[in-house]
Amino acid sequence: MLYISLFVLELNNIIDMKRAIMIFLLSASVIAGCWMWLYYGNEELNTTNLLTFGVIILVLGFAVLVGIKRLKSANRGEPPKDEMSKKVILRTAALSYYISLYLWVILIYIKDKVTMDTEEVLGTGILAMAVVFACCWLYFNFRGVRSE
Amino acid sequence: MNNRIKEFRARFNLTQDELARKVNVRRETIVFLEKNKYNPSLKLAHDLARVFGVPIEELFVFEDNDPK
Repeated sequence: MLYISLFVLELNNIIDMKRAIMIFLLSASVIAGCWMWLYYGNEELNTTNLLTFGVIILVLGFAVLVGIKRLKSANRGEPPKDEMSKKVILRTAALSYYISLYLWVILIYIKDKVTMDTEEVLGTGILAMAVVFACCWLYFNFRGVRSE
Repeated sequence: MNNRIKEFRARFNLTQDELARKVNVRRETIVFLEKNKYNPSLKLAHDLARVFGVPIEELFVFEDNDPK
């Protein structure tokens, strides 16, 4: 029975590690995709492109941070999720959704003022949503989730 | 709601990591609990009280003006 429990624990640990490694792989593939787009698409490095890359790097930095955290947790044999982490994600999702609604309203307003392609607006919106989610997660992770 | 987890943990000579393992949560959760930045579920409060062998009301101090 003990061996079975240990085997299940070990299996859980491997699955957690796999998730963390997946985050790193995904981040690497995004960087590779950006580089290929820049290199093969003959895109010039103007302010807009640099700003976009800056934001992508920021979001990837956040993903890598989460990956490192998960890897450390898996090494320590901690559960990947517990009641607090679930609550943090729940609050983060709720707040980021709320902020994102305003974000899209602002984007639609800006779209009328400056010339932007539909793809650019959508790309900016999706990227901004990712940034908002990361910021909300950091906020709840440092502030904590009390009932009040 | 305040708690005396840190006090009891010191009394039982447990590290945050050891306590986290005993109640099957992440160490981070214990850190937040000790800083009063997180209110645990009834299940976790019960598990913590059981680890220290005390009733819940001895570990968690409820105040009249605590939000519902």
